[in-house]
Amino acid sequence: MNSLFITAASLVSEADVRAARLGSRFGRLDLASQLALLAVEKLAADFDGLGRERVGICLTAAAGSLSTDAAYWNGRAGVGGPSPTLFAYTLPSAAIGEIAIRHRLMGPNLCFVGHESDALSEAAHLILRGEAAACLAVFCHVVTPALAAMIQWSPAARAGALLLQRLDTGLHRWRENDRDIAAMCSLLSAR
Amino acid sequence: MDALANELKAKIVESLKLQDVNPDQIDDNAPLFGAGLDLDSIDALELVVMLEKHYGIVIKDIEEGRPAFQSVRALAEFVRARRPSQ
Repeated sequence: MNSLFITAASLVSEADVRAARLGSRFGRLDLASQLALLAVEKLAADFDGLGRERVGICLTAAAGSLSTDAAYWNGRAGVGGPSPTLFAYTLPSAAIGEIAIRHRLMGPNLCFVGHESDALSEAAHLILRGEAAACLAVFCHVVTPALAAMIQWSPAARAGALLLQRLDTGLHRWRENDRDIAAMCSLLSAR
Repeated sequence: MDALANELKAKIVESLKLQDVNPDQIDDNAPLFGAGLDLDSIDALELVVMLEKHYGIVIKDIEEGRPAFQSVRALAEFVRARRPSQ
């Protein structure tokens, strides 16, 4: 079993979040964490079979947590101040914590802010270095309309997840030049 | 039927964004933390903000609010005692 295979893929949008039912506390997560958590949920991965202490998470957030940061900052003028709950999500890595808590994953994790291309190859290298038996590669891109107006980006709310494992077969054999997670999620989740 | 308690239940659900929790199903005497709604420390801070925003009650020390957060009934009594006269 020397090859790395993508064994599950998912792609979700804000509409999927609105329809999702992941427990009473799902509503308090910021949109980025909701999207990332839902993307991983839709993989329907058997983490028990993989060994939860050996599953890593690599997440990339193209706009970091800027949308949540802006919402928190805008709340400072209100009576009582900004939302304490929102403050917990003013870090781009917050989604990793939510994924790890929900699925009790205790492997290594990495968060990238910027282009998504690093997450999948880094996930592969975590496995190749023997630091993880399997790894989630997650991308999350959230630019709320309020932030879009501030930074002149296009509004966006989507996330995708890939599960990478060392196996003999899977949806797609990982190659060194496989870097565009969004495109791969779109392609593979359609299968 | 305590109108303030019912109002507080709705505000708890709204401010804590509790999904699939019907305010009418919250027991007036059930503990809010540790059991019952199973709220945590961040929720406690969110409730402090809610009390200031909707009832003008400022809690400067979380210890001050601890007895109030034992149940919806305790919270209603706290609000009655502490909210500024209108």
